[in-house]
Amino acid sequence: MALYHNQPMAHAQEPTAAPIEHRFNPYSDNGGSILAIAGTDFSVIAGDTRQSEGYNIQTRYARKVWQLTDKAVLATNGFAADGNNFVKRVKQRLEWYEHAHHKPMGLKSIARMIQTMLYGKRFFPYYVYNILGGIEEDGSGAVYSFDPVGSYEREACRAAGAAQSLIQPFLDNQIYFKNQQPEPGSQPFIPGNLPLATVLSLVVDSFTSATERHIEVGDGMEIYIVMARDRTTDDLLGEGKLQKGMEIEELGTLGEGQGERTFLVRQALKRD
Amino acid sequence: MFLTRSEYDRGVNTFSPEGRLFQVEYAMEAIKLGSTTVGITTPEGVILAVEKRVPSPLLESSSIEKIMEIDSHIGTAMSGLTADARTMVEHARVTSQMHNFTYDEKIGVESCTQAVCDLALRFGESVEDDDALMSRPFGVALLIAGIDEKGPQLYHTDPSGTFVRYDAKAIGSGSDAAQQSLQDAFHKQMTLMEAHSLALKVLKQVMEEKLDENNVQLAQVTKEKGFEILGENELKAVIETLAAA
Amino acid sequence: MMSQHPATWGQPTPANSSFNQFNTFPLPQTQRGQSSHAHHGPVGHTQQPLVTGTSVLGLKYDGGVMIAADNLASYGSLARFRDIQRLHPLGQHTLLGVAGDMSDFQWLKKELDALLREEDALALTDSHPSLSPKNIYELLSNLFYARRSKMNPVWNAVLVGGWDKVKKESFLAYVDLLGTTYTAPTLATGFGAHLAQPLLREAYEAKAGIDGNGPLLTKEEAEKVLEDCMKVLFYRDARSLNKYQIATITSEGVDISDSKSADTYWKFAEGLRGYGAQTQ
Repeated sequence: MALYHNQPMAHAQEPTAAPIEHRFNPYSDNGGSILAIAGTDFSVIAGDTRQSEGYNIQTRYARKVWQLTDKAVLATNGFAADGNNFVKRVKQRLEWYEHAHHKPMGLKSIARMIQTMLYGKRFFPYYVYNILGGIEEDGSGAVYSFDPVGSYEREACRAAGAAQSLIQPFLDNQIYFKNQQPEPGSQPFIPGNLPLATVLSLVVDSFTSATERHIEVGDGMEIYIVMARDRTTDDLLGEGKLQKGMEIEELGTLGEGQGERTFLVRQALKRD
Repeated sequence: MFLTRSEYDRGVNTFSPEGRLFQVEYAMEAIKLGSTTVGITTPEGVILAVEKRVPSPLLESSSIEKIMEIDSHIGTAMSGLTADARTMVEHARVTSQMHNFTYDEKIGVESCTQAVCDLALRFGESVEDDDALMSRPFGVALLIAGIDEKGPQLYHTDPSGTFVRYDAKAIGSGSDAAQQSLQDAFHKQMTLMEAHSLALKVLKQVMEEKLDENNVQLAQVTKEKGFEILGENELKAVIETLAAA
Repeated sequence: MMSQHPATWGQPTPANSSFNQFNTFPLPQTQRGQSSHAHHGPVGHTQQPLVTGTSVLGLKYDGGVMIAADNLASYGSLARFRDIQRLHPLGQHTLLGVAGDMSDFQWLKKELDALLREEDALALTDSHPSLSPKNIYELLSNLFYARRSKMNPVWNAVLVGGWDKVKKESFLAYVDLLGTTYTAPTLATGFGAHLAQPLLREAYEAKAGIDGNGPLLTKEEAEKVLEDCMKVLFYRDARSLNKYQIATITSEGVDISDSKSADTYWKFAEGLRGYGAQTQ
C-alpha cells in the first residue's frame, strides 16, 4: 500500500494558504485479502469474498479470484472497480491472442502481458495488487505477484491485500521455512514442494486467522486449485480429504483442454 | 495478356467487372521478373536459397542482400522489387520484437507471416485524414522460414496479402521449372544437407550463369542455432557436393 | 480530519482523499492549505454535487425487489426541493433509485431513456431482446467507471432493482461514481448504509438465513421493514424528508407508490431541554 499511503498534511485548524478546493479522488480501498501458493505440479490461488469500504461491508460475496484459462487463475485486490475492469481487459486480451495465434496464452506470457498492461497505466495506475497462479509450460506449479504498476516476479507463495502483513510472515515461515532449522542430520528444506493437503491447510489457517484479527477479511473464501496434466486428484477428491464445511466443484475446461484441471473449493468464514 | 484491359487498371483499388484488381495482378507479374528463390522444409529445419544476379564483374556481389533475418528463429528470402521487402521486413522485425516484449515468448512463424501480410493491402488513394497509405501494392513475394513450437515451417506471401504454407516452394523468374523439380525431388524425411543440395541443384537448372559461391546465397533455420546465413566456406562445401554428384 | 480507520487511527486523513469515513454520501471533502496542483490544465472536469438526494434502500423479497427513496433534493443544508422523484423506471422490469447529484441524475435519465427508446424500436421490428436489468446494470457500471477514469465522475450512487424474466428471479445491485459495483440481497446508499443496512440484513436473514436459502420476506413484511428504515433515517439523517416512495419490481412490472410518510413520535421531546420550544 506504499503507493497511496497517507501523506503528511496541514491540519484543518491551520491557517488557509490556498483557496478551499474540492478534488475528486478516483480511488477507494475495498479491503479483503488474497494469496497463492505453488506446489511442484499444482497451484493454489485463494481470496476472501468480503467487499468493504471503511467500516461498511458493501457485500459479503464479491469475487476476487478469476479463472482465466485452463492453466491460469488471477486474484485481484485493492480498488474493486479497477480490479474488475482490469480482469475484463485481461480476458479480452486473452481472447484476442487466441484469435491471432491459434493457441491459449501460456502462464508466463500472461504474466508478462499483465506487466505491460499495468505499466501502460503507470501515471493513472490500476490500484490493484495482482497474484497470478497456475501451471507453467513445463508442468510446474507457479505463482507470479505484481505491484500496481507492473513490477513482477515468480515466487513460491505470496499474500496481498488488507491482511498481507498478517499472512505473509506466516507463509514465509511455513513455505520458505524462514526461522526454521532442519533436525541435525535430516534433509534440508526445499520451498515449493509441499503436498497439496498441507498447502490447503495453510490457506485455510491463513484466512481464518486473518478473519479473526482483521475487520476487512471474512464472510467466505474461494480457493482455486489448478492441477498439472496427469496429476492424481486422490489427495483432493478422496473421502474425507476436505475439511468440514468445504464444498468442491470442478470447473470445466475453457479451451481445447490439455489435461490441466481446475477445482474451486468454497468455505464460509466468520461474518463479524 | 489481359483482354479486358481498360480503365480498370488505373485506380489501384478499383475492381474490374470480372472482379479483378489489375494493379495487384501486375504486382504479381513483377515477381516473375525477379531472381529465383527457393525454400525447403525438412524435419531438422528450413532452408532458403536465392540466386543473386550479378550483371557486371565490377559489382560487389556481397552487397546484394536477398535473405534477411526477421528474428533469431525466423528468416526470409525475397523475389521481385527487393526494395519493397525492406518495409515488410522492418514491420516483421518490429512485430516480432513487440511480441517478445509483450508476451515473453518468441512469435509464431504463422503470426509473423500474418503480420507481414496485414501490410499488403494498405495501398490506395489516401483520404485526407489517413496519411500513411501506400501508393501501390508491394512488388515482392517472400518466402518466410522459421521454427516454433509447431516445428519447422515455410510460408509464401504475395502482393495480394495471401499467405500459404509449403513443404517446398520456388518463386521468381525460374519458379515454374524450379517448382516442378522440387516436386519431383522433395520428400518429407530430407536431411538439411540434402535440402541444401537440392535447393542449389534446382537453382543451377534455372540460372543462366554458372552457379558459384558469388551468385547464390543459402540460409537455414534450425532448432539448435536458429536463423543463419551460410558463410562462404559452408556455401562452397555445398557447391562441391553438387559437383561431385 | 482524524482518520477513524483502525489501521491509521488518529492520523490525519490523506489530503487528496474524498473518501468519506462516515459515508454521508456523496458530499465532497474539503481541502485546505494545499498547493495549487488542481489549477493545472485546461479542462475543468472535476465537479462537486450541488443539489443532492440522500439514501436509497433496496430489499429482495418473495417474488420481487423493493426500492425506497425519499422525495427531497437538498441544496447543502437547505431542503430545496421537496417533491422530487428519485425512483426512475427503465423499461418493463428495471428501476433505478438514485442518490447524489440530482442534475447528474437528470442527465442520466435523459441518456438512458433515449437508449431505451432505441432498444424498444428495435424490439418491435425483430426478435431483438429487450434490455434485462443485468444489461442495464452492466451499462451503468461501464458508464460510471469510464467517467471516473476521465476524472469527470457522474456524482451518484445508484441502486438497480429489477426482475430477470429469463431466470425468473429478482435483481438488485449497486454502482457509484467510482465505478464500484456490487450485489447483495439488501442494499443501501449513504446514511442508509449505516442506519438502514443493519436493519435490512437482520430482517432478511431472520427468515432467509445467512445463506439466503430459507424463505424470503413476504411483500407485506418487506414493505414494513422499509417503512421502519425510512422512519429511522428521517429521525437521524438531517438531509432526509418524511415523504418517500417505495417501488416494487416483480414479474408483473414496475410499480411506484404514491408519496407517503411514516408515523413519527415526538412526544418525548417535550420533556427534554434542547428539543422544541423552550419555555425558559
